[in-house]
Amino acid sequence: MHIPDGFLSPQTYLPAYGVAAAAWYWAARGLRQSLDEQTVPKLAAMTALAYGLGLIMVPIPGGTSGHALGVAMLALLFGPRLAFLSYSLVLLLQSLLFGAGGITALPVNALAMGLLGAWSAVGAYRVLHNVSDALAVAAAAWLSVMVSGLAVALVLGAQPLVAHGPDGAPLFFPFGFSIVLPAVLLPHALIGVGEALLTLFVWRFARKRNWCPA
Amino acid sequence: MKTQTLQRIPAPRPRMPDEGRLAQAWLLAYLASVVGVTFVHEPAWLAAALAMAVAAAGTSRWRLLRRTVLAVLAFNLAVSAGYVLVAWWQGGYSGRYLLMINLRVVLLVFLGFWFISRVNVLRALAFSRTLAFVATLAVGQIGTFKRIIRNFRLAFVSRNPVRASLASRGRHAAAQAGHLLDKSVCGAADTAMAMRSRGCFDD
Repeated sequence: MHIPDGFLSPQTYLPAYGVAAAAWYWAARGLRQSLDEQTVPKLAAMTALAYGLGLIMVPIPGGTSGHALGVAMLALLFGPRLAFLSYSLVLLLQSLLFGAGGITALPVNALAMGLLGAWSAVGAYRVLHNVSDALAVAAAAWLSVMVSGLAVALVLGAQPLVAHGPDGAPLFFPFGFSIVLPAVLLPHALIGVGEALLTLFVWRFARKRNWCPA
Repeated sequence: MKTQTLQRIPAPRPRMPDEGRLAQAWLLAYLASVVGVTFVHEPAWLAAALAMAVAAAGTSRWRLLRRTVLAVLAFNLAVSAGYVLVAWWQGGYSGRYLLMINLRVVLLVFLGFWFISRVNVLRALAFSRTLAFVATLAVGQIGTFKRIIRNFRLAFVSRNPVRASLASRGRHAAAQAGHLLDKSVCGAADTAMAMRSRGCFDD
C-alpha cells in the first residue's frame, strides 16, 4: 500500500511532514534509554524482516500496491514508539534503494503504516488478549493492515479534491474515494489474513526464545 | 532482560573531512529538487528536467534509467490503465495528465536512484547518530537475510530434482523463516557486542 512518489500534492505531503516530524520527535524521546544490547539485535532483525515483507508487492489498479507490513509484529514486540521509528526507517530505505514508496510520500506512508498501524495493532491486542492470545495477535495484525490501508486510501482519494487544474483535471492521484477505497481495502482484507498468520508465527517464535513482548 | 543502556552512539566517521558534509549537501539538493518537481505540472518542463537529469548523471545514466523504469513500470501501468478505463467509462480522458503523472514519477524516482548512486545513505544520515546507528544495523541485517534466502533456495533446489510438493515447500519455508530469524538475531547481537566493546554502550 505504499504511496509512490509523484502521486501526492505538496498541499498534502508538506503538512504531513510537519505532523510526522512531531510524531518522530515524540517516538524518539527516551529512545536511548529503551535501546540496549538485548533489544537492538531483535529490533534490527524485525526491522529487516519488515523491510523484506514490504518489498513483495502486487500492483492494485485504482489503488497503489498490496503487500504485508510487518508493523504489527514490531508493535507487539517493541511497542508503538519503536515500531513507528523502525517502520519509518524501513520506508526510507525502501524508497531510496528500490524506488518503493518515495520521499514525498514518506510522511503519509509512515503515519499510516508505522503509526496508525502500530497503534491499532497494540489496541486490538490489549482488547482481545484476555480472550485468546493467538486470536489477539491475529486480529491485531489484520486490523493494522486494514487501518493502514484505510488511511492510505483516504489520503489518495482526497487528491483530486485537493489538487486539480482550472479544468478540474487531477494533478496528482486521479481516483476519488469511490474507486480508491474498495480498490485498496478489499485486497488488503485478504493480505491481512496472511499478515495475521505471519505475525502469529513470529510471535510464537519470540515467545519460545523468551523475548520480552511489549 | 535489559542490562546495558545505550547512552552514546558514535556517528559513522567520514573517510575525508568533507565527505560527510558533501553527502549532506547532496541530500539537501536532492530534497529541494524533489519538492520543486512536485510544483511543476507542465509535461514539457518535466520532460526537460528529466532529460537534464539523465544527461547530468554521467556514465551510469542508462543503468539508472533502466532501473527507474523497472521500478515504476508495474505501478504506473496499473494507475495509467485504471485511469484510462475510468476515463473511458465516465469521460474526461486527458492524455496530458497521463504524460504529466508518468514523467513526474519517472523523474522523481530517477533523482532518488541518482542520489543513491552518488552518496552513501548511511553517511548522509550521519547528522542523526541514532538514525545512522539503527540504519547501519538494519542494512547489515538486510544483507544477512539476502544471503540466507539465497543459500536456502539453492540447497532446496539441489535436494529436489523434481518439483517439490506444496507440503514440502511449506515445511521448507517454515524452517527457513525460523533459521532466518535466529541467524539474524545472532548476527545483530554480534554487531551490538562489537559496538559495545568499542564504547557504544555505556557501562
